[in-house]
Amino acid sequence: MIQMKLFIRTVSIAALLIVAMQSAGAQDADYSRKGADTCLACHDTEKVLALFRGKHAVPSDPRGPFGHGQLQCEACHGPGDTHAGRVRRGQERTPIAVIFGADSDTPIEEQNGACLNCHKSDVGFSWHTGAHPSDEVACADCHSSHTATDAVQQTSTQPEVCFNCHQMQRSETRKAFAHPILEGKMDCMGCHNMHGDSVAAQLARANVNDTCQQCHAEKRGPYLWEHAPVSEDCGLCHAPHGSSHPGMLTKRAPLLCQSCHSQSGHPSVSQDADGLAAGMPSQFLLGQSCTNCHSQVHGSNHPSGSKLMR
Amino acid sequence: MMKRNLILTLFIGAAALAPAAHGQAVDTSEWACEYCPFEDGNRADFELGAMNVSEDSAYFGDATGYDEEGAYAIVDGNGSYANEGYRLSWVAEDLAYDSRAIELEGASPGSFDFNLAYRELPRRQFNTTATVFEQTAGDALSLPSSWVRAGLTSGMTELDSSLVASNIESDRSVFDLGAGFILADRWRISADYRRHEREGSRIGGGASFSQSSLLPMPFDYVTDEVDFGIRYGADNGFVALAWYLSDFGNDNAALTWEQPYSFDPAIGNDTYALAQAPDSRFQQMSLQAGYSFTEQKTVLSVSAAIGEIEQDNSFLPYTITSSIASSPLPRASLDGSIDTTNFAVAVTSKIFSKARIKLRYRYDERDNQTAQDLWNRVIVDTFASTDMEMNLPYSFERSTLNLSADYDLFDTVRVSAGYDRKEVDRDYQEVASQTEDSGWGRLRWRPTPALELDIRGGASERDIDSYNEVFAATLDQNPLMRKYNLAYRFREFGDVSLSFSGEKFSVTLNALLAEDTYNQSQLGILSGEELRVAADLSWTISEKASAYLTAGLEDMESEQAGSEIFFTPDWHAMHDDDFTTIGAGFRVRDIAEKVDLHFDYIRSDGTSVITVDSAVGGPSEFPELTSVLDYLRFGLSYQQSERFELNLNLRYQRFEAEDWALEGVAPATIPQVLSLGAQPYDDDVFIVGIGFRYRIGADTE
Repeated sequence: MIQMKLFIRTVSIAALLIVAMQSAGAQDADYSRKGADTCLACHDTEKVLALFRGKHAVPSDPRGPFGHGQLQCEACHGPGDTHAGRVRRGQERTPIAVIFGADSDTPIEEQNGACLNCHKSDVGFSWHTGAHPSDEVACADCHSSHTATDAVQQTSTQPEVCFNCHQMQRSETRKAFAHPILEGKMDCMGCHNMHGDSVAAQLARANVNDTCQQCHAEKRGPYLWEHAPVSEDCGLCHAPHGSSHPGMLTKRAPLLCQSCHSQSGHPSVSQDADGLAAGMPSQFLLGQSCTNCHSQVHGSNHPSGSKLMR
Repeated sequence: MMKRNLILTLFIGAAALAPAAHGQAVDTSEWACEYCPFEDGNRADFELGAMNVSEDSAYFGDATGYDEEGAYAIVDGNGSYANEGYRLSWVAEDLAYDSRAIELEGASPGSFDFNLAYRELPRRQFNTTATVFEQTAGDALSLPSSWVRAGLTSGMTELDSSLVASNIESDRSVFDLGAGFILADRWRISADYRRHEREGSRIGGGASFSQSSLLPMPFDYVTDEVDFGIRYGADNGFVALAWYLSDFGNDNAALTWEQPYSFDPAIGNDTYALAQAPDSRFQQMSLQAGYSFTEQKTVLSVSAAIGEIEQDNSFLPYTITSSIASSPLPRASLDGSIDTTNFAVAVTSKIFSKARIKLRYRYDERDNQTAQDLWNRVIVDTFASTDMEMNLPYSFERSTLNLSADYDLFDTVRVSAGYDRKEVDRDYQEVASQTEDSGWGRLRWRPTPALELDIRGGASERDIDSYNEVFAATLDQNPLMRKYNLAYRFREFGDVSLSFSGEKFSVTLNALLAEDTYNQSQLGILSGEELRVAADLSWTISEKASAYLTAGLEDMESEQAGSEIFFTPDWHAMHDDDFTTIGAGFRVRDIAEKVDLHFDYIRSDGTSVITVDSAVGGPSEFPELTSVLDYLRFGLSYQQSERFELNLNLRYQRFEAEDWALEGVAPATIPQVLSLGAQPYDDDVFIVGIGFRYRIGADTE
């Protein structure tokens, strides 16, 4: 009940904080006379024309740049009349108002503003408070509009786009045990919301566990006998981007388990190399180590499962 | 009533955002777009071919589906259709393998869109495993009729003759159907349904008295997920309400197995049971809203979600061994319920042209409402315990406050500073209240859009109200143990990033160093250190050719202590993980306007060294745990005509691991564990594929 009240209150506060908006109309100054035809008279390369295979150049989309009455190329690149105008001999052509890309002189805020003119609510306003705009990441650093398919929106190609900046994560995915990112079967967006900020690490769901349990729902419980770190944060034992240890564990069992378990008897006994297969093979060390017996490490719903063995 | 309030609130929010008509002052009446090559009609690529895989490989068959030696068909395709009002696109990948995927997307732009997909993801864990257990039902494993029980694996005389190869593998299929509608200019409603089915086996330990059997545990999971959302977006604000459902079902609520060891015959039953993952349901209602004041100089974003996880599977009995007297269960099913609450608010403001501040607060709560009872377990289906135990439904509240400010010292230099505070309160754990305070500073220098240097450093202190040793004693823990996620910790961290992006070359270098000290811990983790370095180089050789080089290095060390005498520390262990990776490749296209080439190579080396020094056994170093991955891919496309293309793909993949946990561990190697004999990976695969691509549609007409 308290929870619901809190939720309602939050919703109400959000609504009350929002006051009537003012809409800025497009300026009529400096736009070209013939729109895209003006631009395509010069810019007719394969790269530019690929725009027409994508979602931005759909004349039947009333909200798209090429919808009826919309500003076509200039919807994104800004007014182009000056750029398209005659240039005297020896004079440099005035650049178009908004040029996208890493080597552009257009301020990133301005580049992104051109995209956000239409995509504000797609992106969500938490974009503005997130790490990407703080780090001056431009929309065009990740997205390509002049293509049939935007690489960052395809599962097999998206990770490489993200890895252009997140190189340490690229390294991790090449470890011996990792999600199938290298194989092109999983993308970053499966776990992360690149435009969001309401969850730490820009996760796709409300916290780490909710995110992992989208695919690993069997770990969710609740169980009669819970394992405390499992109920709190999968990342306490697992390295989600990849690990050199099976199960993407952060370190080897039994040392991983012994980081927390010190009960008298076998949990507190050190396991050394004498317990390897060539010596005196130890059931606490070899095979699945601790989970040879405590196999229900994510929790047990068995009345006799308090030690996570049932 | 509450639902009405919610809906009312949503509409109030929407009304507050109600737009003025989007002004459109530009005269576009003569913008005919005569040169615009809009998509119209069909285009599609179909690829047919064959591929040969040189060896069986669980490692490389994992996620890809080509886990067995032999020939596989190549059947791929993609296409699109567009007319004045509709667009449709489809992709079919790997149709002949167990990683097949078919996706279809369609839209009437500006009105609605939909997607339909079916994907498979194979999990191939081990193909070196063998078992004596036979699956007689989805939830039962039995021993061969000729099985002779023994106290230790070495005495199991029928073991060798009873072993049957049994791969540890499973298959996941995902069906996905989604649609979105634009109800009015600024309203969008969307729904997505996904069904995940997973079936196969995994390794699970089945404990007996003081022994165990590694079982090929069969499982059969189904998860249904639904996302439903409605969103209102305006130029300076938006409101979105969403509902999420995840409904998990398991066809095998339990697993029974015939245990292979001999005990006192008086105990009787030789069939044991454990509980498998219970059915559960998670529902969550969430709201997000955002508003930008004064031309985005100040932006506020709010999100809130409430959810509930329910689980009410019937319990198994304390034991299925009828000869053991056990108490009646306190209740017949869990009737478990967890309430979740998540809340976040953030505001960022460009207070003046050179400065921006940001404030963010997040709250995350798990309130486990599951009732507590006293339970009198039967230890591994063998002995009734003399102790009563109470279940501990863990709950926590976690909140984080972040404050930061950026200031543009010069046009090219930005300095930032921040303070973060995290508070965690937990139930039924050794530490009830924990705080973490962090401070950091950052300097960014960007002399040109192409060059950037970014340096950050800081420190954090995680403190606790007290470590409750009395409570720890109720869990039989050594009172000196400090669990690493609960313990006091001081962390220092720093990272540096340098990037240059030129016309021909771009270079990026990142390095990170973090050091943790747990200087109030005597047992458990004592210290940790993490060093990561990554570098990229890309070279645009020409308009048609490019090359790249990537490299990464990691060194992660930790030290921990334990106590065999259940008092002060008498053993220490060091865990040192080193990892290096390098990748290189090139792309060349349109050689003689006919040929495209690409080449990629990745090598990764992982090494882990563990040393243990104990008062009893003295110093001991384990053999290195190593993993070496080579991944080489070469592709050549020859465009015979606008319609026909020949594709040649060569892949060489090698993965070799040295892992003392598996090396030489045959089913009977460990006297008290009947294992599956899984061996470290030593996979070496060469793949040759030839495909013919046929193209129809716009470009070829």
